[in-house]
Amino acid sequence: MKLPVPAIQTWELTKRYEETLALDRLELKVEPGEVYGYLGPNGAGKTTTIRLLLGLHRPTSGRAELFGIDAWTDPVGAHRRLAYVAGEPYLWPSLTAGETLEFLARLRGTEGVDRAYRDQLIERFDLEADKKVRALSKGNRQKVQLVAALETRADLLLLDEPTSGLDPLMEMAFRDSITEAKERGQTVLLSSHILSEVEALCDRIGILRTGRLIEQGTLAELRHLSAQTVEATFAGAAPTLPPLPGVQVTGTAPNALRFEVHGEIEPLIEALAGHQVLTLHSREPSLEDIFLRHYGQEPDAHRDGGEDRADR
Amino acid sequence: MLTATAGKTARTAEPALIRRRLLDARVMTAVSAYVFAIYSYVQPAGYRSIYKTAAERLVFAHSFGTSKGLRLLYGLPYDVATVSGYAAWRVGGVLAIFGAIYGLLVGVRLTRGEEDSGRLELVLAAPVGRATAGVATLVALGTGTVVLWVAELAGLAAGGVPVGGAAYLALATATVVPVCAAIGALAGQLAPSRSLALQLGGGTVAVLFLLRVLADTVGGLGWLRWLTPLGWAELLRPFAGAQPAVLLAPIGATALLLALAGRIAADRDIGAGLLRERDRSEPRLRLLGSPFGLALRHQRGALIAWTGTLAAFCYLLGTISKSISPADVTKGVQREIAKLGTGLITTPTGYLSFVFSLLGVFVCVLVCTQIGAARQEEASLRLETVLAAPTGRRPWLAGRVVLALLGAAVLAVACGGLAWAGARTGGVHLALGRSLEGGANMLPIATLFLGIAALAYAAAPRWSGLISYGVLAVSYLWELVGALTGAPRWLLDITPFAHVGLVPNEPFRVIAALIMVATAVVAGGVALELFRRRDLVGE
Repeated sequence: MKLPVPAIQTWELTKRYEETLALDRLELKVEPGEVYGYLGPNGAGKTTTIRLLLGLHRPTSGRAELFGIDAWTDPVGAHRRLAYVAGEPYLWPSLTAGETLEFLARLRGTEGVDRAYRDQLIERFDLEADKKVRALSKGNRQKVQLVAALETRADLLLLDEPTSGLDPLMEMAFRDSITEAKERGQTVLLSSHILSEVEALCDRIGILRTGRLIEQGTLAELRHLSAQTVEATFAGAAPTLPPLPGVQVTGTAPNALRFEVHGEIEPLIEALAGHQVLTLHSREPSLEDIFLRHYGQEPDAHRDGGEDRADR
Repeated sequence: MLTATAGKTARTAEPALIRRRLLDARVMTAVSAYVFAIYSYVQPAGYRSIYKTAAERLVFAHSFGTSKGLRLLYGLPYDVATVSGYAAWRVGGVLAIFGAIYGLLVGVRLTRGEEDSGRLELVLAAPVGRATAGVATLVALGTGTVVLWVAELAGLAAGGVPVGGAAYLALATATVVPVCAAIGALAGQLAPSRSLALQLGGGTVAVLFLLRVLADTVGGLGWLRWLTPLGWAELLRPFAGAQPAVLLAPIGATALLLALAGRIAADRDIGAGLLRERDRSEPRLRLLGSPFGLALRHQRGALIAWTGTLAAFCYLLGTISKSISPADVTKGVQREIAKLGTGLITTPTGYLSFVFSLLGVFVCVLVCTQIGAARQEEASLRLETVLAAPTGRRPWLAGRVVLALLGAAVLAVACGGLAWAGARTGGVHLALGRSLEGGANMLPIATLFLGIAALAYAAAPRWSGLISYGVLAVSYLWELVGALTGAPRWLLDITPFAHVGLVPNEPFRVIAALIMVATAVVAGGVALELFRRRDLVGE
């Protein structure tokens, strides 16, 4: 059986701006129909990646393909199959929202857009089409960009922090739209800081840090890599436990203990068995925990500072 | 922001704000100061070397006194038989125009420009009152005026003009700066955007220039001089019976305009102007079909304003061209005039040829502004959104170049046509074809500068404005002053302006035009390739 061509694939994609290495040998593969969450702190290289995928910037080395089309040598060909939402809504102040949508739609030439869907989106995002862009707030401008991208029904949506500036209601409208896109088999690259959004929408997640992809996988896979937190309270004074493999004490109180557990939880349960345990809570790491772990320290540095994280 | 209302303000904010404002204006001020110093040095120095004896100077003075063509650019000469009088005429007139443009640009930049960018909001969110922001702007404008005054004074003194007189002459020129800066500041209060403020202020300054031209070239209209700051600079009469009392006019006008601007600034919402733009409109779907269409839609207003202003100018000068006559001008002096780069301007057609050659510079500026608009589209990151659609980079840039060419062509034809209509009205017999040829003669050099601007844009986007306007300014200044330096022929011929025939008085220079266009085509081709291969660059 022939494998489908990936929607996005990069080979050692690297970009250097003068002294700064913005992207370092990125190997990214997003299959058609996937919603891929692209995470990373400010300046990690998310926007650089998207600019390289769009052929707006030229790779220093390596290359990128969208549906098998080279991003740099045939941008127009690649762009026929994608739509883009920029991180900042820079539009033409003198056009109305409706005129902006029309202009961006006509740029697609014969492919055009789904006009019935446009009307639906305008209603869903509560967009005032006759209002001039200069009179729109940042969030409303962002909505113009979103409608312009979604109405294309493009095979691939490249979204660079698309919900920045949106209120919670519009955030829900956005999630509905992405779910619809996913149901239609569209591929989405979602760069975002809103972790709940990524958790809710994305099939796979990649975490970028100083230009390098340091973690990648499904949410379940990423959770597996991270510690789970266990809290125990005792009838009397908290006991002193012997050192256990994969278990770290991250918080102590007169009659309570907090642990972080990597891998099997059994040794901890066994060690606690002889003591008068009143309550035992365990929770899986949230995306935020995973994320902060990668944000908060060098990937290869020794794990410490766990106390801070456990207190969150 | 300019305001006279007293606000409760942390005094310590002022030095920081003033420093910021000065830095904001520093490039424009430095470039203008350079032009002022060089230009005011070359003129008296050159005059001294060309007209060595008093007798030569008298002949020269006599012929120049009657030359209306020269008055157009340089203003009214009072006494050109002395080095100082000549300097007053050649330097004062031209630099006053420069000063007006500088004042307007800085005036708009430091008021509406700051506001448009959102920076002013940030400043006023700090414990800084509107009055403080206004004072900082005033200090920056005042400093700019003083810097230009010193630059001109230094240039004149180095060129051998007595220091006292030079100081007064430079002062006369410099008076134009605050008035036009105040016009810019007021336009910045009226218009809700920087581009509209520039159009408003630019239109006003164009009218003020036209008033001075009419006053200096049409008999009986001399009183118009009292209505324009460019006229006041002449009425101060440096080296010709100084009238320092006239200084009250620019001082009073500046104070009045600034008070008005401050009054408006104190009362209005930040970000809004006194003139309101509608926030909603019915959809207009024309010219939304392509990036070229959108560019035309956005540039249409500016192109119409340029064409309207310059064509009206041509019509007016066409009507007065009748009064140009070769009487009293000897052949030798005509040659001397030609040496100054102004051609044989002693006949109506010669005069109109000179007008066209002057307009050629404006056409070159126009094409540079179009490439500047393209750069602005990229710097604001809107271009990323356009190019993320299935639109190619080369067609996009080619569209902007074609738009610039179209604008230049329309301007050239309109100027040729209106100059002809004006000449006919004035009773001069000039064939329409020849007048149009005179207009079209500006196009090859405009094409050349378009090619240079496009190349600069593709190769060094952040520096493209400086490069394209810089090359244009240096080329034209060299054409104006080169001959005075006694430089060898080949060095004078380095500027492309030396190769533009004074059509219709002289024949169209086909070879030179072909070389210019060919160079432009090569530059444009390279530009398209470079642009295809480079990263898009933000601010």
